[in-house]
Amino acid sequence: MTKPLIQINHLVKKFGDNVVLNDITETINQGDVIVVIGASGGGKSTFLRSLNLLNQPTSGEIEFEGTNLVGLSEKELDKVREKMGMVFQQFNLFPNMTVLENIKLAPMKVKNQDDAAATKKAHELLTQVGLDDKADAYPTSLSGGQMQRVAIARALAMEPDVMLFDEPTSALDPEMVGEVLKVMQDLAKSGMTMVIVTHEMGFAREAADQVWFMDQGVIAEKGEPEQIFTAPKHDRTKDFLSKVLAQ
Amino acid sequence: MKKLLRWLMALAVAMVAFVGVAAQPVHATDDSLAKIKAKGTLVMGTSPDYAPYEFLVNKNGKNQVVGIDVEIAKKIASDLGVKLVVKQMDFDSLLVGLETHKVDMVLSAMTPTSARKQSVDFSQIYYTASQDIIVNKADAKLYKNAESFVGKKVGAQTGSMQADLVKQKMTDSKLLGLTKVTDLILALKSHKVEGVVAEHPVAQAYVDHDKQLAIVKSGWTLDPESNGQAIGFAKGSDTLVAAANKSINEIKKQGLIKSYTKTACDYMTKNTANTSMFHYWKFFAKGVEYTLLITAVSVVFGVLIGTLMALMRLGKNKILHTIAVAYIEFVRGTPLMIQVMFVYFGIGLFVDVPALTAGIIAVSLNSAAYVAEIIRSGIDSIPTGQTEAARSLGLSTRQTMTSVVLPQAIRNIWPALGNEFISLIKESSIVSIIGVTDLIYQLKVVQTATYKGVAPIFVAMVIYFVLTFTLSKILGHFERKMQHD
Repeated sequence: MTKPLIQINHLVKKFGDNVVLNDITETINQGDVIVVIGASGGGKSTFLRSLNLLNQPTSGEIEFEGTNLVGLSEKELDKVREKMGMVFQQFNLFPNMTVLENIKLAPMKVKNQDDAAATKKAHELLTQVGLDDKADAYPTSLSGGQMQRVAIARALAMEPDVMLFDEPTSALDPEMVGEVLKVMQDLAKSGMTMVIVTHEMGFAREAADQVWFMDQGVIAEKGEPEQIFTAPKHDRTKDFLSKVLAQ
Repeated sequence: MKKLLRWLMALAVAMVAFVGVAAQPVHATDDSLAKIKAKGTLVMGTSPDYAPYEFLVNKNGKNQVVGIDVEIAKKIASDLGVKLVVKQMDFDSLLVGLETHKVDMVLSAMTPTSARKQSVDFSQIYYTASQDIIVNKADAKLYKNAESFVGKKVGAQTGSMQADLVKQKMTDSKLLGLTKVTDLILALKSHKVEGVVAEHPVAQAYVDHDKQLAIVKSGWTLDPESNGQAIGFAKGSDTLVAAANKSINEIKKQGLIKSYTKTACDYMTKNTANTSMFHYWKFFAKGVEYTLLITAVSVVFGVLIGTLMALMRLGKNKILHTIAVAYIEFVRGTPLMIQVMFVYFGIGLFVDVPALTAGIIAVSLNSAAYVAEIIRSGIDSIPTGQTEAARSLGLSTRQTMTSVVLPQAIRNIWPALGNEFISLIKESSIVSIIGVTDLIYQLKVVQTATYKGVAPIFVAMVIYFVLTFTLSKILGHFERKMQHD
């Protein structure tokens, strides 16, 4: 029996009169790799950013490991966010720190790890993403793919229970997409719970346990990748996939 | 916007209330003399740029005010059995100093005009001098007396009785008012004015020390009541005035003024024995010391308060935000000079703030407003993604600010911050108006002491440039250090 890690109940997000998330109720189980697809403007990123409350929901509940996050104070949220790693489209590495310092910052500041332990862990993670030789480089000297791998290592350094990926390859040159997806695939295989917003259909097909198709603020259709990609039921899913896969 | 307006109104009301309190007369019974005796000091306010009445000499590397007026004050203090303290101020500020009890009495060759009598009590007249007009020697033959200056520009010290005389008696001449006699002499030598009205002993002193100057007699016969010099006291100091009058009577009876004048002239000759700028390096060194002290302290407090204000302005708390906006707008909307005077004289009504402290407070608070805006722009320049990334890692708001946003912001705003620091070195010079011995003040001291106008200005200019240029090099070094790409 898999146990629910994140329970989303009647999640609604409005920006003014614009309803971006319209009453979403879903469950994410421990060890799930969920890929969220859908057209731009469908609410995918807003949904993902609601999970760790970078976006404050208008109404509804986000239960993480049994606690409802909506309504928690910023201080309480800090404790929760430690356990929810996030990777951004624009990498968001800290340009004033070296690669190593980027990774060590949160473990040392938030978890009060000593420098030696944090450094050791950082080197392990850099080896894992294949960038240990760049430990002392500054982010600006890295390629996009390298930066995103460092960003993944940085999030992993906090030993999170779930990793959220917000279009991690959309800002990359095509030749660099592969190296990032490879790291993510390895991570999926290791049993990490992951929620990934992406346009990489190949990756979704290969790595996802479930694919959620988001449209007009709701999860219009969900299922195993094979079913979604070969036998979509919903008209809009068909329409979207035909456009994307035709490219 | 409406809210801001309301806050500004509240601020204005508070200020009016403050000034109202300040303006209230506080003498129920006259205990002025008893007070002086109780505290054991008599504070004399003076503008020491008026040799031989009051001027500065260098005694063992320290500025000391000397002159006829100081000798008189010494006599009064010793008659009262108290210690004399001399406070230096611009002539303009002397009466304010009396009103705000910064000083107990004013001896600055001041004439008891009827206008002044409305806000100040005067002693009897202790000295009456004739009025002269200082001119360039080359032009001396053109002028016979005051009437020869028709259509010409004439200089006099702002707020002085000479300025009033020019307005009354030289109606066909144009008046140029400057605060310092030394500046007036400079104006004369550079032909900005054709004559400078001054009392005979002062005029004589300048002419004795500068061969390019000459004296033209004004030819005025003046009512001694409107011509002589008296000591100013705060309104309602009858007992103190009586005590001073007693001392003045003795001075007159024993003919002490003559020996006082001789003492003063001895100082003057000693003072001007060597007028090379190098001889006065200690004066400039002291000025540099104070200028650097004021700047350094103000930079530290300016940055601390400025950062706080920037965070308050950017924060979610509406009240703190409004306070910060009101503060920044108000400070940026008023001249530093007024802020310096307000802190010294205004706050000084309630707590006695020394001039140096008052100067530092005013300059720090002023700089804080500018630094706040620079830091705000720096924080705004950091993409929200940086904050989001930090928060998603579990860093608190404060940790995000101190570890991620501020270090990057400071790098971005470093050049602007550097400009602010450099201009602080220059702008801090305004504290000289309340008598803080910074570089500008010392420059005027040297001008007064040496009777040289331009050379001290040149020295001070070079020193300022060396200071700012060095600072700009140091800032540049750190700027390069912060670049990683």
